[in-house]
Amino acid sequence: MRSVQFLPCFVATTLLCCFVAGSPLVAQTRYVVTNDDTGFPLPNGVSFFSEGSNGALTLQGQVNTHNWGIGGGYFGANRVVAANDGQEPCVFISQAVSGNIAGVLVNSLSLGGVVSGSTNDTGTSNGIGLAVQGDYLYASFTDSNTIGTFSIESGCNLTFLGDEPVSGLNGGIINAMATNGTLMVTTFTDGSIESFNIANGLPVSNNDEQLSTATVKSNDGTYANQVQITRNGHYAIFGDTSTGLVLEVSDLSSGQLSATKIFGSSKAISASNILLSPDETVLYAVNTQGDTVTAFWFNKYTGSLQYGCQSGPIRGQSQSWSYLVNAALVDHSGSGGGVYVAEFGSTSGIALIRYLASNGTCYLHEDAASPFLDPNSTALLSIAIATSQ
Amino acid sequence: MRTQFKVGFLTAAAVLMSIAAHGQCPDRPASGSVVADAPSLMSQNGTLSATFTMAQSVDVYGYTHYCYKYASGNQIIEAPTLRLNPGDKLGLNVVNQNNPQESGMKMDMSQTGMPVCGDTGAATVSSTNVHFHGMNVPPKCHQDDVITTLIQPGSPGFEYEMQIPSDEPPGLYWYHPHIHGFTEFQVNGGAAGALIVEGMEKFRPEVTGLAERVFVIRQQFLVPWVPGPYELTVNYQVAPFIGTMPIIQMKPGERQFWRVANATLQDFLQLQFVVNGQPEQMEMIALDGYPLSKTRMQNSIFIPPAGRAEFIVQAPATGGTASFTTESVSTGPTGNFDQGQTLAKIQLTDNAIGWHASSAPASDSSRLKFSNLADQPVTATRKLYFSEEFGGTNGPIQFYITVDGQKQKVFEPNEPPAIVTKVGAVEDWTIENRALETHAFHIHQIHFKLLEVDGQPAPNQDLLDTVEIPYWEGNGHPYHTVKVRMDFRDPNTAGTFVFHCHILLHEDLGMMHKILVEP
Repeated sequence: MRSVQFLPCFVATTLLCCFVAGSPLVAQTRYVVTNDDTGFPLPNGVSFFSEGSNGALTLQGQVNTHNWGIGGGYFGANRVVAANDGQEPCVFISQAVSGNIAGVLVNSLSLGGVVSGSTNDTGTSNGIGLAVQGDYLYASFTDSNTIGTFSIESGCNLTFLGDEPVSGLNGGIINAMATNGTLMVTTFTDGSIESFNIANGLPVSNNDEQLSTATVKSNDGTYANQVQITRNGHYAIFGDTSTGLVLEVSDLSSGQLSATKIFGSSKAISASNILLSPDETVLYAVNTQGDTVTAFWFNKYTGSLQYGCQSGPIRGQSQSWSYLVNAALVDHSGSGGGVYVAEFGSTSGIALIRYLASNGTCYLHEDAASPFLDPNSTALLSIAIATSQ
Repeated sequence: MRTQFKVGFLTAAAVLMSIAAHGQCPDRPASGSVVADAPSLMSQNGTLSATFTMAQSVDVYGYTHYCYKYASGNQIIEAPTLRLNPGDKLGLNVVNQNNPQESGMKMDMSQTGMPVCGDTGAATVSSTNVHFHGMNVPPKCHQDDVITTLIQPGSPGFEYEMQIPSDEPPGLYWYHPHIHGFTEFQVNGGAAGALIVEGMEKFRPEVTGLAERVFVIRQQFLVPWVPGPYELTVNYQVAPFIGTMPIIQMKPGERQFWRVANATLQDFLQLQFVVNGQPEQMEMIALDGYPLSKTRMQNSIFIPPAGRAEFIVQAPATGGTASFTTESVSTGPTGNFDQGQTLAKIQLTDNAIGWHASSAPASDSSRLKFSNLADQPVTATRKLYFSEEFGGTNGPIQFYITVDGQKQKVFEPNEPPAIVTKVGAVEDWTIENRALETHAFHIHQIHFKLLEVDGQPAPNQDLLDTVEIPYWEGNGHPYHTVKVRMDFRDPNTAGTFVFHCHILLHEDLGMMHKILVEP
């Protein structure tokens, strides 16, 4: 089922790319994709923004997924992920009101499968988070407090494999998930963190559930929200919801989470969304409840973080948007060149925050052309990068 | 910040359904009618005794009313104004006829080891009690205790008995429920009224002979805790954004003494008296129930939630037009936008009536409580700060007020005091706002002196019981602060009471802590 909402310029651009490249096989388009998270009565969809050479985004269209999102929820629960079904790239989005996950074929910009988990799986209050590892997609259902496991099938379809009931130590709700190889690390709303072995697809607890150090020290004033795992699997980095800017790092090299070390700065409120650069030297922290992005230097050998730099106020807070949420990298190599950041609000959009470093000093600044509006969403929380083949 | 609490919504929906069949509150005046002051209950021979019945009902628009009913003969009066003199005794019997809530949210206030005042059991949205806001009376059971006092539905009556201090400042106070976790529901429903300590003319003779009006500005959301449009009301009459406005009558050219209470849940009022299209100068008389040391002219008066302002306005001459308005107020990126609007139209008529205070000989303002506070040696300094965190658009949200150096935590009824001091202490507190929305600091039992704003001497050094601290503007900007002087010299302050943000959602969600003043 093809979407009919594509702009003529997209066709022209694609044709031009194909012509210049000489072969359609090598033409790739890198997209910033969204889960527009539209609620009833309007159907939800995935908006595709192409990147210009200067990083500027152009909306190419929306693939209608014919279901409903909720337009809100937990900041750490990422609602859109890119994957590959073995034949072509896919984008999967969660749709909390409908209680399912939709796949979109990136090459054809068309809808693939729409699949639900068990009858128990629901996330209508605060959303359904997603994570991908290899052939598996994981969904964190925030009402049923379950992690659903799906296998990714051709045609960007899914097959539900099973549920794992989970809970924070103090009854917390499943929030963010990160995966790497055979590891999955999760956060809960009570400040609990836990890792799982996903070698066989379904997550099996590593029996290391614990409250994060910042949660314990702050007496619930801080809790780990989003999480990243380093490529070598040695460290899990947590971005905390807090009244300040708090990050935590846990050593995973034993195969279990160790007590987290705290790294903080009082220069912003919350870092509920974080993103590690491709070379793992920079950690971008989105100051969710504020109007800045902060960069920290990350030492992937020691797991330490050091404050680097902070952007100025990102345009449009409170007038256009309320929260800065999920981020996606501008470049797929090196320091990442900065981040795109979802702006949640009645005028949802995507901010472009550029990163520069020179002689041990870094700079973050919002691009002059930013933000790029997403007219298909009034509640944008999650974005990702997807590339056509 | 109003948020989308599913639990709150479901609870509210359950409340609406369960009480739909009960029409217990009096009808409220229609928009477009003449605004009348609430009837007054006056002390006689040094005593004011009354019985209030708390009740609830749902109006035709779906708004849940909570009301303080007073029976006057065959007539039921809602939220009468209580008028007392310094030294008088107040005896208030409160009967709770709210519907018992068998389901929905409950908050256990009867923790092991906690004293119990009144009824036992868990606090619910139907439980109630009374806070005498701004009054400098003891935080004791049967007086102005809100931590342990519980009046459950069906209770035959709970007696409040207190003596107004002989040096109580004359002015406008107010009363409202203060059940932790559920205050917003009942105040949203209109459960609030004015309390006046008489004698303003002794300290501010400018008001002598003027017609006096008492306006209680309330705010109602269709469902508390859920985002949506709200309405401001003036003495229970809705002031619509569009439509027929409440009418306040004045004689042409008349000067009136207005006493205005901000009994809203969260609205920061920026009041103006607009004459012939221009904001008119108003003569300030008192703030938060404390007479100003000297009057001052202002064309705009800022009142945070729970604050009060008393001032003189002058009607235009015949042929002129006038209105009573509140201007828009930005409360920060995560705060609510308080929309400017007209509260009432002024109607010029020779038949305008108002309460006329009797004249009284002038009194020495040095006899007022707190009058020499500026000169007192400070025994301790403290720093407190407001902060917030949001884990998602629907929560979890935590609202904190924290004593610097302590852990940030939300209030729990059985927690130990965050501050311990002694009778006789005079303390300077610096209160900082690290959140992206404006907060309104309030402490029970005492007034405080506003010394500094953002590190600079406050121009008027007013005595207040509620003060706003503007929101943090973000990276590169300092936190806004106020410095206030707290006076615990009066033995009446001995006991445990609370300080909190008076945005009632914040208070209900725990932006509050206890202070213990040891005897």
